[in-house]
Amino acid sequence: MSAMDEVFKALADASRRSLLDRLHAENGQTLNELCEGLEMTRQAVTKHLAILEDANLITTIRHGREKLHYLNPVPIHQIGERWIKKFERSKLAALSELKRQLEKRDE
Amino acid sequence: MSKPQFDQFKPLTVYTIYIASTPERVWEALTNAEFSRKYFSGFAVEMEPRLGGAFIIRAPDGSNHITGEVLEHDPPNRLTVSWNVNWPDLVEKLGTTLVTYEIAQAGEAVRLTMSERHDRPLSDDILSGGRTGWPAILSGLKSLLETGKAPQIKMAPPVKMLEALKAMGIKVPS
Repeated sequence: MSAMDEVFKALADASRRSLLDRLHAENGQTLNELCEGLEMTRQAVTKHLAILEDANLITTIRHGREKLHYLNPVPIHQIGERWIKKFERSKLAALSELKRQLEKRDE
Repeated sequence: MSKPQFDQFKPLTVYTIYIASTPERVWEALTNAEFSRKYFSGFAVEMEPRLGGAFIIRAPDGSNHITGEVLEHDPPNRLTVSWNVNWPDLVEKLGTTLVTYEIAQAGEAVRLTMSERHDRPLSDDILSGGRTGWPAILSGLKSLLETGKAPQIKMAPPVKMLEALKAMGIKVPS
């Protein structure tokens, strides 16, 4: 399986995307922190994290005694590089900023 | 600076990329000005290759953008440098930044992990500059080593980071 296949396969699961969302909200969490308030068992979280790490969507690092998990956006950046033309980038950035501002106003 | 207590520095941003290359070539690309100019928007990495050596990143206009010191030097596996942006009061307010590269063979590829560590909590807005820049820099490095060419990525200025720095009273270049 190619690296990009692994990325899409890893992303094709709502539980794994929610783990990525949790890391996006707070980067550098331990397994215990990631399990807090989730409906999933610790074993299931561990398994999902391994799939995400194999796809290089998260990366882990030891800090003292703890193993911390980090969102790794590099493969997503590479997907962007592959299909988004350079001149589209600034327009897309402007559009997502517009969306962000409009949604903020609704809150 | 004296060697910091690494344990007090928490990684706040960590990125991993796999590159079809050798650890030696990845090390060279990370520490050599001629290479770095190609994937790092014209910025030149100038490093004295020894513990305690100077680490500078020179902007295309010749100014020192980043000034630091080599704190761990174990070629071609591990490099830690202090990485301080040369804007007035920035280091005083944000503390020293440490950047570590870990390079390891992984099958036929090389696994490169970059971690950015800080001795205090920093807001996502402050960190957004690096979080925008690093994926582009690392992808560029990968392309350069694998294909001989790095795409010129035009990056928008890190608006949120600049606003957050201004709010802390740090003068940022206009």
